[in-house]
Amino acid sequence: MLSIKNLHASVEDKEILKGINLEIKAGEVHAIMGPNGSGKSTLSQVLAGNDAFTVTEGEVTLNGENLLELATEERAREGVFLAFQYPVEIPGVSNLQFLRTAVNAMRAHRGEEEMNATDFIKLARDVSRQVDLDPAFLKRGVNEGFSGGEKKRNEIMQALLLQPQLAILDETDSGLDIDALKVVADGVNALRSKDRAILMVTHYQRLLDHIVPDFVHVLAGGRIIKSGGRELALELEERGYGWLGIRDEDTADHSAN
Amino acid sequence: MKSVALVPAPFLTATGQMLPQPLQALRKQHAEALVDTPLPTRKTENWKYSSKYLKLTDDLAATLPSGQTGHFPEVSGYRIVLSNGVVVPEASNFPEQAGITVRRFCDLDDAEATELAQQLDQTLDTSSVQLAALNSARFDDGLLIRLAPDAVLDQPLYLIHQVTGDTSGSAYPRIYVDAGRHSRMTLVEEYLSTGSERVLVNAVTELNLQEGAHVTAIRLNLEGDNVLGIGATGVHQQRSSRFESHCIGFGGPLRRHDLQVQLLGEGAECKLNGVVVTQGKQHYDNHTTIDHRVPLCNSEETYRNIAADQSHAVFSGRIHIHQDAQKSNANMNNRNLLLSNGAEIDTKPELEIYADDVKCAHGATIGQLDETSLFYLVSRGIGRHDAKVLLTMAFINELVAQIPEEAVRDTAQERLNRFFDQSFQEA
Repeated sequence: MLSIKNLHASVEDKEILKGINLEIKAGEVHAIMGPNGSGKSTLSQVLAGNDAFTVTEGEVTLNGENLLELATEERAREGVFLAFQYPVEIPGVSNLQFLRTAVNAMRAHRGEEEMNATDFIKLARDVSRQVDLDPAFLKRGVNEGFSGGEKKRNEIMQALLLQPQLAILDETDSGLDIDALKVVADGVNALRSKDRAILMVTHYQRLLDHIVPDFVHVLAGGRIIKSGGRELALELEERGYGWLGIRDEDTADHSAN
Repeated sequence: MKSVALVPAPFLTATGQMLPQPLQALRKQHAEALVDTPLPTRKTENWKYSSKYLKLTDDLAATLPSGQTGHFPEVSGYRIVLSNGVVVPEASNFPEQAGITVRRFCDLDDAEATELAQQLDQTLDTSSVQLAALNSARFDDGLLIRLAPDAVLDQPLYLIHQVTGDTSGSAYPRIYVDAGRHSRMTLVEEYLSTGSERVLVNAVTELNLQEGAHVTAIRLNLEGDNVLGIGATGVHQQRSSRFESHCIGFGGPLRRHDLQVQLLGEGAECKLNGVVVTQGKQHYDNHTTIDHRVPLCNSEETYRNIAADQSHAVFSGRIHIHQDAQKSNANMNNRNLLLSNGAEIDTKPELEIYADDVKCAHGATIGQLDETSLFYLVSRGIGRHDAKVLLTMAFINELVAQIPEEAVRDTAQERLNRFFDQSFQEA
């Protein structure tokens, strides 16, 4: 489904990604781990189409289509979804308005009719309960005044609403207590399907106790330096990144956020 | 010596024969005083950013024909149509309610006109609202609204100010509201235009709020690009009165509104909200002043400007806390959104405080659409145009939502939607 070949990307002339190669098939869950500043978030942002980053080399295809030629909104409509590490607060735009506009943009792209307000509210309420968010939040501004955990649950709720082909979860576990982590993990597990690929970016392995990946990759200094199965994450947990010879000064000092 | 531009002579020769004699005399007095009055230039402090849009050419001096009506918005409340400043009774639906008097200036008898002539021009500081005097020198009719003590107008009163631009000329709508003790009303003023010839609208509204009166005034400036618009609203507030103002304005070749509020009795409070949207080469200038003259008054002011393309928006807000006005509460907030590199916004919040026990705050910001928010929205499949519209609406939603009349909100929203359709058209 997703194919990344020799991807190089930079921000303000500083190269962050230095040749990423990654193949993800439908139905698979991949985890990308790595120390701070290794380029994990940059990879997520580049895939989603944040033009603060410049792709200098390489190619990315989704189901054979050149993703890099598509604008951010077109990528989303083709099925790319990024759960943000730091979801943005937008006072003045209600969650309901935001979510409905997004769902209807997707529907229009698929040639489907717009969903009317009543049907949408019902759907949104159902999905918000699935991630344990009080449906009253739908009337508030996008992420406005949300706790860290609520913001992350809102991200997963959006994924459940938009039903992407490829869900990229950027540090979705950061800032969550164990209860919130479980709710988020349940949401992500609900997303798992044979038609969908999931790419999880995380610093810690604890998320992987709840969402068990098929493959684990270690990203350091803008390259994937080791790939393996689930056991790789456990080994990293036990022995630390130092085990792979990664020292902080080897890693790129600029993270996406 | 460089000659000074004066109010052009053709502006000061019309007679206003429909009016009762005392009002004709008042007009004449103002016309004579204006003969030597220089027009504001960029050196005039309160016209610094806007004098270049003020082009009072001779062709604008003509009185526009009255009695012309067109298609007006249906409203549920009372509706009075003013065509080029002259009331059109056959198109109007006057309130008929005990304690509420709504009269055309032209219909007043000499005694009533004498009383009114003494009350007009008292609420505005003519040294800073120079062009209000031109309205006083030229109004051909007007509307007198008196609320008896305790009278409550049961529905909003809509004033439809229609200007017809089939020929060049000018119109001078004049409204005077005297809200008696503990009376209440909602006044909606909607400014519309037809035609394409250049016209000038110079409108003055004065409101006198007696003790405990509550008045909500909503103003929608929706005139076309052929209209040069100047407006002034003066408000006097006695003890424990409450005045609420919602001004929604769309730009034009010249748009200027002065809003002056005098808090004259203890416990008086005012809330002033404003939204301005400009595009193309349009202009809009809001000047507000709030004078806290006595102790224990509250004022709350929130204005937002959005300027697109090469347009120019101006906000100047002045709060003056006089020496005796202890325990004043004053809050002013002005936020501005520039939608293009070619747009200009000038903002000048001013607090002048001469009392020592007061709570005052003011703030002004100018910014652009937030790229991070934009990326967040488009990453969910929302098109770039729609995302920008959402973010821009978010900037003013709060203020639009506060307009207490649904019909006005809808009208404003519809016009805002039209603005958004035309904006953000870049690929």
